[in-house]
Amino acid sequence: MKEQLKKAKAIIEGYDGPAVRVMEVCGTHTHEIFHLGVRKILPPQVELISGPGCPVCVTPAGFIDEAIWLALEKNVTICTFGDLVRVPGSTRSLADARSLGGKIQMVYSPMDAFEYAKEHKDEQVVFLSVGFETTTPASCLSVKMAKEAGLTNYALLAANKTMPGAYEMLKDSADVFLYPGHVNAITGNALNRKLCEEGGISGIVTGFTASEILTAFAVLLKKFPEGKPFFVNAYPRVVTEEGSIPAQKLIKEWMEPCDSQWRGLGMIKNSGLRLRKEAQDFDARVKFSIPKMEGRTSPACRCGDVLQGKCRPTDCKVFGKGCTPLHPIGACMVSNEGACSAYYQYNSRGE
Amino acid sequence: MCVGLPAKVMTMKDGMAVVDASGAKREVSAELIENLEPGDYVMVHAGIAIAKITEEDEDEAEDLLEGLL
Ligand code: SF4
Repeated sequence: MKEQLKKAKAIIEGYDGPAVRVMEVCGTHTHEIFHLGVRKILPPQVELISGPGCPVCVTPAGFIDEAIWLALEKNVTICTFGDLVRVPGSTRSLADARSLGGKIQMVYSPMDAFEYAKEHKDEQVVFLSVGFETTTPASCLSVKMAKEAGLTNYALLAANKTMPGAYEMLKDSADVFLYPGHVNAITGNALNRKLCEEGGISGIVTGFTASEILTAFAVLLKKFPEGKPFFVNAYPRVVTEEGSIPAQKLIKEWMEPCDSQWRGLGMIKNSGLRLRKEAQDFDARVKFSIPKMEGRTSPACRCGDVLQGKCRPTDCKVFGKGCTPLHPIGACMVSNEGACSAYYQYNSRGE
Repeated sequence: MCVGLPAKVMTMKDGMAVVDASGAKREVSAELIENLEPGDYVMVHAGIAIAKITEEDEDEAEDLLEGLL
């Protein structure tokens, strides 16, 4: 192991400061932290909380219901990231809708959905646009391309979310936030600095390789005992202070802020994005007059408490019994990046 | 769905870049990055290059710890 990594590991293992709650906001961090075995080298007074940064986990049941309605009632071809297919809606998932004859197409990117629409002009195609600041530019770009190509059979069902409102809401759930590097690559660091300076919220922008994650933990465990709020960009090879100006412009051009429902957390003001009025032709809700759907989740599911660090996945009564990755009851069990799924996957291997 | 991949730009054409991510070749949009050239490294997310990165990433992470502590 390289010198610096050894040094980071020694700092982490040797931590003897006060108890600290660290929330990894991003699902990819949750997954990588388990995968790299970071939990095993952390001293007991360092508590890790898996926050709401997995777009699949926070997508509300009502959104799945809307997509199913489009597929089954309007014969729309649904293009989606694969992770969403097994997320439970109020009564069924998109996988269930597919077995009922719904056309559900898996794609890797919104641009693939656009390409599909271009090649299938006789079908109405809707892309399920979920995700945070990192994914939203791609959704906007697909709309831009559709407009330029003169397509009339492509639209977004948008549930895009933005992180600031969530940080604000979760600020008491943790002492230090591991910020998702790829969100900051788009947004820049101004907001995180402000949260630190004005709100006293400490955080560190973190990358995704072993050395980046260990470096971030070493830095935060050095800074936390000093007792002052801090902000550090530990991912400078990707994240600049101002972020991606072209991406910010692209989002602004097509989308505007709105209130947004987060599964498990409820409504958070100004934490979502919807298509602007000028882009209504590409808004599936307008185009197909989707009726309002409230969405119900299973009362047994404690995803909301898990995402806020109020309980661990293993505290949920149905964890690993009624709820497994093959038969998920809540969204946190569906995606690889969900907290419950990560716990299940690694605990069942005896780690 | 959120995993970002570091990749090397192989060729550029009409705002699209063919990239090599650990041996897998893919075509991604280069719309968000000005003046991208073959040989550059980028972070790819959901079919789009979201940021230019330096090549010697691991080395940089190593120096980083020194700088941040
Ligand atoms: S184990 Fe399943 S039901 Fe329980 S909180 Fe997690 S996702 Fe929800």
